[in-house]
Amino acid sequence: MPPAWRREHGRAAERLVADMLADRSRSGRSTGIGFWGALAFDTARHAVLERVGVRAGARRGRTDEGESSMRALVYDIRYAVRSLSRQPAYAITVVAIMMMAVAANTAVFRVYDGLFVRSLPFEDAGRLVDLDTRAPQWNLDFTGMAYADFAAWRDGNRTFESMAVYDVGGASLQGVDGATRVSLVRASHDLATTLGIEPVEGRLFNESEDVPDGPLVALLGHGLWVQAYGRDPSVVGGTVTLDDRVFQVLGVIPPEASFVEDADLWVPLQEDPGTHDAFSYQGVGRLLPGVTLSGAEEDLTRVHKSLVDRWSVNEVTFPVVSSLRERYLGDARTGLHVLVGAVGVILLLACANIAGLTLVRALGRQREIEIRLAMGAGRGRIVRHLFTESLVLALAGGVAGAGVGVWLSGLMVFRLGDQFPPWVRFDIDGRLVLFTVIATAATAVLFGMFPALRLSRAQASGSFSTTTSRGTAGQRQVRATGMLVAGQIALACMLLVVTGVTLRDAQALQDVEPGFRTEGVLAYTVQLPAERYPTPAERVRFWTEHLERVEAVPGVVSAGATTILPLRGHSGYFFQAEGAPERADGEANPVVLVRAISPGYLETMGVQIVQGRALTASDGRDEGAGVVVVNETFAREFLGHLEEPVGARVRTGGRDWWTVVAVTADTKHYGLDEPMRPGVWVPLPQLPPSAMNIAVRSAGEPTRLTESLRAALTEQAPGVAMFRVTTMAEVMADALWARRASMWLMLGFAGAALLLAVAGLYGVVSYGVRQRVGEIGIRMAIGARRGQVARKVVRDGLVIVGAGTTLGLAVAFAVAPFLASALFTASPRDPWVFLGVLITVPAVAVAASVFPARRAASLDPMEVLRGE
Amino acid sequence: MIGRPMKPQWYHILLALADKPLHGFGIQRAVLDATAGHMTLWPAMLYRSLATLEDEGMVEQVGTPPGEAEDERRQYYALTGPGRARLKEETDMLAEWVRAARNAVT
Repeated sequence: MPPAWRREHGRAAERLVADMLADRSRSGRSTGIGFWGALAFDTARHAVLERVGVRAGARRGRTDEGESSMRALVYDIRYAVRSLSRQPAYAITVVAIMMMAVAANTAVFRVYDGLFVRSLPFEDAGRLVDLDTRAPQWNLDFTGMAYADFAAWRDGNRTFESMAVYDVGGASLQGVDGATRVSLVRASHDLATTLGIEPVEGRLFNESEDVPDGPLVALLGHGLWVQAYGRDPSVVGGTVTLDDRVFQVLGVIPPEASFVEDADLWVPLQEDPGTHDAFSYQGVGRLLPGVTLSGAEEDLTRVHKSLVDRWSVNEVTFPVVSSLRERYLGDARTGLHVLVGAVGVILLLACANIAGLTLVRALGRQREIEIRLAMGAGRGRIVRHLFTESLVLALAGGVAGAGVGVWLSGLMVFRLGDQFPPWVRFDIDGRLVLFTVIATAATAVLFGMFPALRLSRAQASGSFSTTTSRGTAGQRQVRATGMLVAGQIALACMLLVVTGVTLRDAQALQDVEPGFRTEGVLAYTVQLPAERYPTPAERVRFWTEHLERVEAVPGVVSAGATTILPLRGHSGYFFQAEGAPERADGEANPVVLVRAISPGYLETMGVQIVQGRALTASDGRDEGAGVVVVNETFAREFLGHLEEPVGARVRTGGRDWWTVVAVTADTKHYGLDEPMRPGVWVPLPQLPPSAMNIAVRSAGEPTRLTESLRAALTEQAPGVAMFRVTTMAEVMADALWARRASMWLMLGFAGAALLLAVAGLYGVVSYGVRQRVGEIGIRMAIGARRGQVARKVVRDGLVIVGAGTTLGLAVAFAVAPFLASALFTASPRDPWVFLGVLITVPAVAVAASVFPARRAASLDPMEVLRGE
Repeated sequence: MIGRPMKPQWYHILLALADKPLHGFGIQRAVLDATAGHMTLWPAMLYRSLATLEDEGMVEQVGTPPGEAEDERRQYYALTGPGRARLKEETDMLAEWVRAARNAVT
């Protein structure tokens, strides 16, 4: 209970408790936990009520309490707005800080929620899991699924309701005005049922249509149905022409079917479970209720391993069951946690900062409050009024912050859309609103309650005097706010360290040499319809002719073709070097990245040949005289036993031996922060592909060539579409985007944090000066020089900064290792970062205390003393 | 006019003091008896209520009544004139409520 109350009633209350105890022991009742608990609760409850002055309100009388408190609230709000508009600088500062904090939190919440919290847009999405296989021996975490494995798992499992496999590709859709490229999902018939999807029109395909050489049937994606057919239901039963083949349309699938991507069409996979072919499919399953991931994985492993006799490859492969989020978004988790931490710190800082500002302002208004008290206002009423001011400001800041936050997150989401599967949604909904309201309310309570309570306690001794605000009570406030500011500086330091480390990391990544040309290169993809180019020879002729036509386009320096562009996917084969020692059982057999290329590709992309010769047009054309170019990693891992890799012979599967004619430098292929695997480049006649990426090096801006290149293709092969047109610079930017964005965000947050902390410091130092005007005046009157006074003020500031910086750096040092998993190369305890923060923060802080120091030094002692 | 009743604990404190001045424990026991053990006025609640009633002028602090043991920690409270008037007013109001209620339920 408050001291005044204790003075008045303390002894009587003690006596009462003693009486109660005596009475209880007389009547033989126990005085156990119940008694003491009730006593403690009673005391605590009334202590709070007494402090916030509820009794003062009650004292005014019992009638019309509800109405009068409503009226008082309206009055409070009006009074708050009026008194705030009298000091707009304070109000604007608080609203701006609030806005910043709420905006940062709203934005990060929206992204975090979309990625990791909200339920996925599928029926009973919690039971959907990703299915895949892994092969540690091949150095692969995920190999993709083989259809034979899928068929075996589907028939033999006991833990899944259903499962499906699919792959994503494209096809040329023949329309009235030429061909357009559409995305095509080839799916086993159970994909729709597994996802819980019902057709919008018509029906889905069934099991009898999903068999080798089954009927040509297709489902129309919702987007294509709307755009190309204007929601015409009669399209069901009609036909579409894909890659020169005619498919019957069975039905239309809903927008939620965008499981893999916004696919334009679905066709049945029609695979044969009797052959164990490439690991090329993605799998998805729906667990039976109550089945865990590990339980399902165990079950599938049992099925998988029982087939080792039939498929010997099952010896080294294992089923993997993972949650959809973990599989596709797991990499983003740590980085996003750092952001969540950062915005949390910002919110705390904002609270502390506004609390400090409010406290200082309230102390400045001590006279006003004393007068209101003297005129009969209850203390509770005054506390409520101060609190109302906080609420009004918080509301304004919260609303503005939510707006800015939604806008900011909109920018992030706009770019993120391409980086994540389409089932990740960032819709704005009630939960976002709820979050913002809670964040705002929490801030308001924190920054409003603390000063209000402090002030009302200061008032408890409140004699009507002019000196209170400059006496010891004022000094106590300075100390309290000083601690608050030290805390802010500590938090800012921590954030700066994290940002510094992120920055160093991003820098390191930026400096990574990708090993290929990123400027002035345009790339696009062409897929040949199998009907029109059925034989390898025809395909090779097409690509050769196409590249000749492209090089004839004005502005083109050179052109080349590859099956896989850097940073854009993987296709692996196993290789064996001639004369290499036999691999022991269980020894690693890393999978090799294989790209078929045209002779001009390496030169066009600027891939460096470190040894050997460039490929020529005649390479790979003669049966039995195959050649291959290998990268340095391949040379090291497969040809390490030879003195000279060039001239060695390697082969894949049961094919002929290929002679190594050159070694290239390693290029980044799986991401700038991922190590390179062994890789080979194969002349395209040896593996004649039906789809290739054409890379075109131009003299000027590469995108300007797009139309003339498209014309060249149409002239050569009418109805064949060119798609995924991009530049290598864009491919690079995409690869770096997520890290760069989070770096900029962190930079913004850390800057804001430092600004807040320094503003807080400025506030407390200048307030301290104002508190001690009298003392300073006397000092100067008795001979202290201006410099000495200024130094003392700066020194006071430095004590706060020193404490804050030390604390912040110590905590940062302790927690830094948690960052490591989000980093590429930088050390989480990078000494340069720590040193940088150690220098920057005090420097900025000293700058902030120089102004108040100069003001103190320029005081006129005579005037000050007269004022006292 | 039918007003709103005062807080139950205030009414019972006034009622307890109607007969004679009492100290804290006396009030607590009287209220406990009067409510058949349903209302325990714990110390903070009791003294905060007393303070409010005192502010409202309904009770006052008095010296130890003759015949009671002197204990300086025991503070006796007595009903004032206005307090008695309020108690009667409140009782009448409650009686009116009870009358109306009985008519309604029987």
